[in-house]
Amino acid sequence: MSAMNGASSLVASLEAAGVDVMFGIPGGAILPAYDPIFSSSIRHILVRHEQGAGHAATGYAQVTGRVGVCIATSGPGATNLVTPLADAAMDSVPVVAITGQVPSAAIGTDAFQEADIRGITMPFAKHNYLITDPADIPRAIAEAFHIASTGRPGPVLVDIAKDALQKMTDFSYPTSVSLKGYHPKTQPDAENILDAADLIAQSSKPVFYVGGGVIKANASRELLELAQLLGAPVVTTLMARGAFPDSHPLNLGMPGMHGTVAAVTALQKADLLITLGARFDDRVTGKLSTFAVNAKVIHADIDPAEIGKNRFADAPVLGDLKYSIAALIPALRVALSKNRPDLTAWLRQMNALKATYPVGFDIPADGSLSPQYVIQRLGQISGPQTIFASGVGQHQMWASQFISYENPRTWLNSGGLGTMGYAVPAAMGAKVGAPDTTVWAIDGDGCFQMTNQELTTCALNNIPIKVAIINNESLGMVRQWQTLFYEGRYSNTSLESKRVPNFPMLAEAMGCIGLSCDRMEDVDATIEKAMSINDQPVVVDFRVNRDAMVWPMVAAGSSNDEIMIARETAPDWDSQEL
Amino acid sequence: MAQHTLEVIVENSPGVLARVAGLFSRRAYNIESLSVGPTSNPETSKMDIVVNLEGHALEQVIAQLDKLINVISIQEILPNIAQPVIHDTQPDYQN
Repeated sequence: MSAMNGASSLVASLEAAGVDVMFGIPGGAILPAYDPIFSSSIRHILVRHEQGAGHAATGYAQVTGRVGVCIATSGPGATNLVTPLADAAMDSVPVVAITGQVPSAAIGTDAFQEADIRGITMPFAKHNYLITDPADIPRAIAEAFHIASTGRPGPVLVDIAKDALQKMTDFSYPTSVSLKGYHPKTQPDAENILDAADLIAQSSKPVFYVGGGVIKANASRELLELAQLLGAPVVTTLMARGAFPDSHPLNLGMPGMHGTVAAVTALQKADLLITLGARFDDRVTGKLSTFAVNAKVIHADIDPAEIGKNRFADAPVLGDLKYSIAALIPALRVALSKNRPDLTAWLRQMNALKATYPVGFDIPADGSLSPQYVIQRLGQISGPQTIFASGVGQHQMWASQFISYENPRTWLNSGGLGTMGYAVPAAMGAKVGAPDTTVWAIDGDGCFQMTNQELTTCALNNIPIKVAIINNESLGMVRQWQTLFYEGRYSNTSLESKRVPNFPMLAEAMGCIGLSCDRMEDVDATIEKAMSINDQPVVVDFRVNRDAMVWPMVAAGSSNDEIMIARETAPDWDSQEL
Repeated sequence: MAQHTLEVIVENSPGVLARVAGLFSRRAYNIESLSVGPTSNPETSKMDIVVNLEGHALEQVIAQLDKLINVISIQEILPNIAQPVIHDTQPDYQN
């Protein structure tokens, strides 16, 4: 126990929780906390917008596996955190947000910069607190970190009234956390594991449906062993890119709306989905009633509410995937020793689809730059250790399709919420978490204009990220839908970003190196130039063809059986043995 | 559709009613009635929630309620049956 004010107790609690870096902006209500932050061992990175702080915390968390921390003042500071916290909730990212609140006597009076941020974040935060007594600060911080990082990870907000930061208190950090209503189950039941193993040993068309939970659980190694033991095909969702190596012969790629023909068809035709940390999102299943109609389902997840939410689970496995997959390996070995189905025909069919329908693109006939080519070269030149963070839209899908991910925690994107503007601040957080690794943000010209202010933060704080703007002067994915579903009526999707702003000049104004490229033959040299600069952030304006579209595509609300590989072009199913 | 009564023991902390009511609202479940009262333990309160839900929807709302950190336990109260129904959060249909 030692006497100090609530603000010092907060910072001492954050230090005790193991925080080494946080992203934030001070303001009136949180100001008392910024005094002890000034002398703390915790690195505080002063961002330019609170949304940037939130996404940076997310990027940091996804790269390191640790809890990301952001801090803001009351009212608008706190409401600016709403989008990144909702984003972290949808993608199960462990984040703790600290916000100042108006003094407790003023709460409820519509005081200056008052917003009920606890009420605002209640629908999506994993949990949140409003602290008005300084004695409650250490326990709330300890619980927040525990809740954010255990079970299904998620965002936790701790809102602290200004007077609670100012009053004196005795600091004592809890040595353990006990919550009556929170006991995430980590060890799977042996019976469920046996049931799952038996189902697998009876299946002749199994497929591993791998979601982001495998990365959250650090279970990639276990997955590799399990997949090789069975020798069944693997699909990795948008959140799971890198959970299983793309170069592995069993990997069929990404399923879903813009998934590969092989991955989508494997799910559709399977007789068993071995679902690991995935949640049957509508972007994966398409029209749910027509999704994988002949498949039984094994559903392994740490969140009991996900199991059976969208699709009945014949064999539920509740627990931490690291333990669940590890337990499944010996159980499956035993089950297969009694009955080993022949998967040869199934694998041959899927490999034929993979070979016939790889993701591909056409070089534009008008000589303009192909966005897919730029992204493919970025992946090839930067190599498999590079961390990529993307925004949301066409460039995101291409970055998922055309870069080969070999390692977990190398692909960051806003999968669930679809937050445009995610890339630059997430890349900033990723680079802080992995300073020795090359970090590329692959961004669209629309996304980039939502959050590029954090490049100033990067330039001033020695965070040399690299940004590739895939500049098609459009809200490209929306434009693609207008092309396909609105007769080419391009209502409000032209951004004219090849005229204004001048991205390289904008980058230079923020203390970055600005480059530009609009010819295929200059792509490699431009990427290599960007790769050679490591003491400053670099922004490359890749000025690309605006009519390129993302294929394959399953139209929203359609069945996955109606996957198209190009406009009005379905795969030639008759020539496939299915 | 039959009515089901859920007896929910929650931590007696500010905002817990809003958390429970908000969950029903955002997941589009109707509450038939809701009453909150004290228990013998001053640290907990009891909510009796009557819902017009069955099967998968009922299981889902129980599973989602159970995720609220302040919710300690949930039991379904059936009239004239001594044993509470234990929920396994599995839907009872195949879509």
